[in-house]
Amino acid sequence: MVTQTLVKEICPTTTQGRVRDGALVVDVREKDEVAQFAYDVPNIINIPLSEFEDRFTEIPSDKEVIMVCKSGGRSLRAAGFLVNHGYPNVVNMQHGIIRWIQKNFPTIGDTSSILSISTNESCCVTNTSTTPESDSNNDSNSNSCC
Amino acid sequence: MEIKVLGTGCSKCKTTYNNVIEALKETGLKANVVKIEDIEEMMKYNVLTTPVLMIDDEVKVKGRIADIKEIKEFLTA
Repeated sequence: MVTQTLVKEICPTTTQGRVRDGALVVDVREKDEVAQFAYDVPNIINIPLSEFEDRFTEIPSDKEVIMVCKSGGRSLRAAGFLVNHGYPNVVNMQHGIIRWIQKNFPTIGDTSSILSISTNESCCVTNTSTTPESDSNNDSNSNSCC
Repeated sequence: MEIKVLGTGCSKCKTTYNNVIEALKETGLKANVVKIEDIEEMMKYNVLTTPVLMIDDEVKVKGRIADIKEIKEFLTA
């Protein structure tokens, strides 16, 4: 379980509400991952983590920003990076698009690969594990996302 | 000399750490080698892509495995 206090974290359900209120979603997955399937929300930009240091200034600092990725690990690092660069209103979405898909929230693309490994974990009830992200082992295995 | 390997515990980070140990062994140099896996600690260094190899608080390699040869070059530079 990742324990940190630098960045506030929210669950996908809370993210839905914040998006409705106009928050900007920043997806830090790589382009090939986004091409496979993506979040279907109105205010979203993709800045891959591999380009993030060079492009983070594209993110407005006067808006609420919600960082997202596949399972919440990479986006947490990127959120910390923004906080360290003075962004005042940045949160990380725990559990990433894996949980987003499991919650049947809107997506674009073929999500069958995620659904096939889905364990029907709920966002807001106790669970014992999450599906690990292939390139990152620091993803949150928090027992609750809310 | 202080060497830090920042990473999340993934195989690339472990390989970098092992390469540091091997490079020290091959050069006969001594250093304090620290592995930083705590996410909050890592965020203090503004690290995005891991693993990161730092020598005396200077980032030498980030986002990839540092191989033994290049680590030896850093150590003897």
